[in-house]
Amino acid sequence: MIYTIASTKLGIIGDPYLPAAGINVAALLSGGFIVEQSTPKPKKPAKTSTEPNEEI
Amino acid sequence: MPTSTYLSNPTVTINSVDVTDQCSSANLTRVIEALESTSFGKTARVYVGGLENSTLTLTMYNSFAAAETYATLAALVGSSTNITIKPTSSATSATNPLSTLTGCYLETLPIVNAALGALDTIDITFTGGVYSVATS
Repeated sequence: MIYTIASTKLGIIGDPYLPAAGINVAALLSGGFIVEQSTPKPKKPAKTSTEPNEEI
Repeated sequence: MPTSTYLSNPTVTINSVDVTDQCSSANLTRVIEALESTSFGKTARVYVGGLENSTLTLTMYNSFAAAETYATLAALVGSSTNITIKPTSSATSATNPLSTLTGCYLETLPIVNAALGALDTIDITFTGGVYSVATS
């Protein structure tokens, strides 16, 4: 999971946050100090050919 | 005998969050529990070192604003985290060592400590964890 800093109390807002060992990430999330940054899903490839029995 | 003037103005982080501007008192004490090993024939009690059980007690101004005291501490009660404290905000050095308690435990959190006409302050204590000190 990738986290982003959301408070100046923790660092520069918008910078990625890499929690050190022992840091309570759940507390930082619930306190609003960091936000989860979901990894983007890969886009489906565009269809380039029609099916053999597909009606046009 | 030479003396030096030391103005207390430490920087404090709890769970990586800088809480310096909410603290008015900090007391970090390193404790190694004493285990008595006095045996027959001794004329004074003697001890050996046991488990480490250091404590950090902070007096903090209570605030329920975003990213302030309550937001920092609310989810830490009953769990472990890391705290750091440094004598001044200057760079870490041999004369400004950074002390860290890794994995210390917060047992209690006063929610409201109110008195008419006074700022709401709370005392919290982190217990245990592994003490380390960095000088660079």
